[in-house]
Amino acid sequence: MSATAEAPIEPGLPVEIGRIDKELGKLWEEIGDTKTRASLINLAIYTENAKSVEENTNLISEIATQHACRALLIFANPDAQEPGAKAWINAHCHLAGKGEHQICSEQITFQLDGDMVGALPNIVFSHLDSDLPLYFWWQGNFREPLDEKLWGWVDRLIYDSAEWEAPAEQFGLVQKIRTLTEIRTILCDLNWTRLLGTRFALAQLFDHSCALARIKAIKRVSISATTHTTGLLLLGWLAAQLEWKLQPAPGRKFFLAPGGGEIDFRLEVTDGPAISRCTFESADAILEIVREPKSDYAHARIDCEGISDTLMLLPGGESSTSEVLVMELARGGKHPLYRKALEAINPLIV
Amino acid sequence: MPEPKEVNPLREGLSSRTMPQPCAVIIFGATGDLTHRKLVPAIYNLAADGALPPAVTVVGFARRDKSDDVFRKELEDAARKFSRQKISDELWAGFSSSIFYHRSEFHSLEGYESLAKRLDELDAQRGTRGNRLFYLSAGPDQFPAILENLRKSGLNRTREGAWARVIVEKPFGSDLPSAQALNELVKAAFREADTFRIDHYLGKETAQNMMVLRFANAIFEQLWNARYIDHVQITASEPLGVEGRAGYYEKAGALRDMVQNHLLQLLCLTAMEPPAGLDADAIRDEKVKVLKSLRPINGDDVRKNVVRAQYGAGTINGKRVVAYRDEQNVSIESVTETYIALRVNVDNWRWAGVPFFVRVGKRLPKAGTEIAIHFKKAPPVLFNVDGQTIDENALVIRIQPDEGVSLRMSAKLPGSSLRIEPVKMDFHYGTSFGKATPEAYERLLLDAMSGDATLFARRDEVEEAWKFVDAIRAEWDEHSDDLALYSAGTWGPIEADQLIKRDGATWRRL
Repeated sequence: MSATAEAPIEPGLPVEIGRIDKELGKLWEEIGDTKTRASLINLAIYTENAKSVEENTNLISEIATQHACRALLIFANPDAQEPGAKAWINAHCHLAGKGEHQICSEQITFQLDGDMVGALPNIVFSHLDSDLPLYFWWQGNFREPLDEKLWGWVDRLIYDSAEWEAPAEQFGLVQKIRTLTEIRTILCDLNWTRLLGTRFALAQLFDHSCALARIKAIKRVSISATTHTTGLLLLGWLAAQLEWKLQPAPGRKFFLAPGGGEIDFRLEVTDGPAISRCTFESADAILEIVREPKSDYAHARIDCEGISDTLMLLPGGESSTSEVLVMELARGGKHPLYRKALEAINPLIV
Repeated sequence: MPEPKEVNPLREGLSSRTMPQPCAVIIFGATGDLTHRKLVPAIYNLAADGALPPAVTVVGFARRDKSDDVFRKELEDAARKFSRQKISDELWAGFSSSIFYHRSEFHSLEGYESLAKRLDELDAQRGTRGNRLFYLSAGPDQFPAILENLRKSGLNRTREGAWARVIVEKPFGSDLPSAQALNELVKAAFREADTFRIDHYLGKETAQNMMVLRFANAIFEQLWNARYIDHVQITASEPLGVEGRAGYYEKAGALRDMVQNHLLQLLCLTAMEPPAGLDADAIRDEKVKVLKSLRPINGDDVRKNVVRAQYGAGTINGKRVVAYRDEQNVSIESVTETYIALRVNVDNWRWAGVPFFVRVGKRLPKAGTEIAIHFKKAPPVLFNVDGQTIDENALVIRIQPDEGVSLRMSAKLPGSSLRIEPVKMDFHYGTSFGKATPEAYERLLLDAMSGDATLFARRDEVEEAWKFVDAIRAEWDEHSDDLALYSAGTWGPIEADQLIKRDGATWRRL
């Protein structure tokens, strides 16, 4: 982040930070009875990229149609010479139900410059909607030192490990945050959420009796993913669920199945959907799901016991960031399988 | 194809519910409205959401002669019109290949034998593993023939490790003896655990939320008894008339059509004790206890506690509508009730002395189904004195439309004088959760495929409900001079207002 970062476009009505609540009250008075304010969660988004303020505002507008929230968008510019804090307010309204009335979510945007970034917990978290959980989406890399006061407020920490350039370091920091919050904070990795469609499709593939009969006889798995971390997470999930143990022997890494069989793996980084192909090979079968770049569905191929079936069509999962975030917000739960998946491939994260 | 003996480990954590096994869904009465409007769109939506294994197969069984392709095209047209989600061409292409049509008379055993053969072939082709879900969506007069032929053809029994279940659409009989007879027929072919009596009200999100509201929020359950509750109102109103169902409705009336099933189910959810667990029988045990606690209404009590009425001509939404007796296929001398209001007592410790007012009607001003808990008024001290009457608190659970929960309370109007007015805290599903809620049939079909009977009525529930309703019916059969009239577009007859007024209450305005 440079000290001369461009100021974001004005995402709403500029207000003094000390008058945010009053100005929001006035905003709702002006809006009147024709619209309803709704909020189920506090959604905070932290970015250090000035250009993403507009993008995030649009994203909040999309998300608010499915998840009524109080959104707090924080643009931090820690390298700015002059400390400063500015705020804007606006509302995102959409027609609900049969279009009879409008539902609105409110957004408060902050720009924190220089030393003011350190006051983030005080400035921002005094504007949370009380009694509602805080979902905090940290866009970009985590940095030490970690602020205990900040993370202590967070119920669900959202991040996207697909965007990290140094995943090993970042996963380490995420674990530290979790320790700081006494493991209360739930980790929500959008990279993992993005895999949900693929995981459903693979589960459906193995619902087929022919495939299920071979699940313990897999010899090789090949994954094509948009990032190495994405492919690793899917591999980790497979390993955790199928109880494969990583054998990090020098020169050749492979998994051992509970029955003692060896499983080779291959990860390939390609363009397209998060997972464009996942292939399993056993001595007498090939099982595969393939998702074409512009398709909403994954095709499954089963080639075993004389069956060669390519007709299975499975929902492939969401693609856009807003769709993935909407899905994550809708899921709830503590994501224990994510942690198991990470443990299974931990030595492979670099 | 060998039957898998093990669980798919990749299914763990993908859904909070059990994934149904691959199966064939056989719909009797496949050319009917329900199949086109509800069942097939529901199965498509489940498939589109990835909630079904791809091998799930639909077989339509009906009398008309048509090919698989014609049947598929008809269903596609209907699904495009009625589906909750937009139909994807890509997905429909695959989905439609899982739909088949089987022509047969319901009375023809041969038709069932050929169905059995066809299902075996589909097991091999599509991997449905011998699992069968029979959906009785034909007219109720066909149920006996269908059930008998399913038994005779052996379709009710499947090979080891597979299952055969039946979903029975309402009405479950027209009175207690016919319900018992139907239940005996079902029992001859299917175990109770494999029998799913569908009441789509129970598949609605808000009806399911009733248990969550009561038992996941400690504040309500403390107040949920005769000490704090004055009375309960359960209302189902609709502006529609008989809409081409006169043949059925003339025999059924509002009591059989709505009260025996939907409204008594809602009453049970409101009045039941906390179940020992969330399994189907624990919940249904508690509902049956409520039905057994209903004070019978018979003899002279019927006139005191029940108002039946029929709509006359009137105006709905600015349009003139004819009287019930002038509807097509309705007798000019019909005494069928299109409206009923009841005062019901639940004779147990929790509800002693708390009247439950239940009303249902056609050609009322607007559509709405809700349960309203009216709490006792604040004592006549401090604010509730000197001519100032404070409304009681009311907790309203809206089942449809605009599903949600609201709580009415009193608040001081701003200003120097003390004026108290009712205000409402309102939770709307549609406002808070943008995601469209699944159709009731989606949830119920998925549950039946998964073998979860929680949201379906058990035999004893159905029979207890008929017992209660039959007593009223019997008195009506003796005397028909108590049928009141109301104008279409009004909230029912004056007699219904008088019924609730005796307890110092008034009907809610929806």
